[in-house]
Amino acid sequence: MICLSKNDQGADLLASYLAKTLDAPRRAELDRHIQECADCRGLASAWERLDEFAVPAVSPGFDARLYARIAREEARVLGWQRWLWRSIGPLAAAGAVVALVAFLQVPQEPDAAKPENKIEIEQVAQAVDDLNLLIPIDR
Amino acid sequence: MEAVVALERDAQLMLRVRAGDDTSFGLLLERHRGPVVHFLYRMVQNQAVSEELAQEVFLRVYRSRERYEPTAKFTTWLFRIATHVALNSIRDRKKEKGHQSLDDSHAETLGGLERQVADRQPTIEQEMVHEVKLREVRQAIEALPAKQRAAVLMHKYEGLDYAQIAGVLSCSESAIKSLLFRAYEALRDQLAHMA
Repeated sequence: MICLSKNDQGADLLASYLAKTLDAPRRAELDRHIQECADCRGLASAWERLDEFAVPAVSPGFDARLYARIAREEARVLGWQRWLWRSIGPLAAAGAVVALVAFLQVPQEPDAAKPENKIEIEQVAQAVDDLNLLIPIDR
Repeated sequence: MEAVVALERDAQLMLRVRAGDDTSFGLLLERHRGPVVHFLYRMVQNQAVSEELAQEVFLRVYRSRERYEPTAKFTTWLFRIATHVALNSIRDRKKEKGHQSLDDSHAETLGGLERQVADRQPTIEQEMVHEVKLREVRQAIEALPAKQRAAVLMHKYEGLDYAQIAGVLSCSESAIKSLLFRAYEALRDQLAHMA
């Protein structure tokens, strides 16, 4: 027995039954059941009543209004991006200039600290020491 | 590469939108405009509000294009956005003015429906009967808790399956089955006198 109320596919069964897409044996079975079961008969009747809920046609200007909204929104986003660029762009440029100036103003390390200069000084000191060795001690 | 080939058409279109192809966005809009607006209309029961919300949905889709990944079916993703937008709107409207009277939007709805049935030229009596029935259906749907309402609308009118609705509402499939059935039982009870 198919009872819509006792079937977890009840809503789909009802839909298929009324759309006449159920296979013949099941449809015949449900036909018989609906004759006997007031609950299921009521369900079938309610489903058919819902067909009376017709809808008005979509307004002709619907698409035009939508595209106008999209265009407005895109223009707003573009405007916001431009504003952001105009506001932040000069600030970013100014920041870059300040950073460059600051970099140029930083005192350079003394030459002596550079490794190649350090080696050169050591070599000179060594040479002076060598010269000292050439001078007789008892002079 | 195989995964890309196997992608559903909507997901392929959305990937093209992500790559900057606005024509594909137009195709997606063409395919889903109706279902999204109609779903939202039945959720909030007001044409102007539903179209405003639908615009918000497609705007969000467009905004998210660069982050889009085809991890779920496109429809599931789309209806998740639509449901989120609708539930927020319902919550905000409840906060603003309490329970909204159906009568506020009734005239507007009838205006829309009038256009649809104009060719059939029903009698005044038929129109009145239709109005009463329609009002009762609208009231029955509006009386459902918002999540149940969303599930019913996706299942009944948009043809989403259990798995997709579960994806939209972030629930398990079994939870959706029972949620839907409770909703249909509530509708049956509300509409019983109309049978």
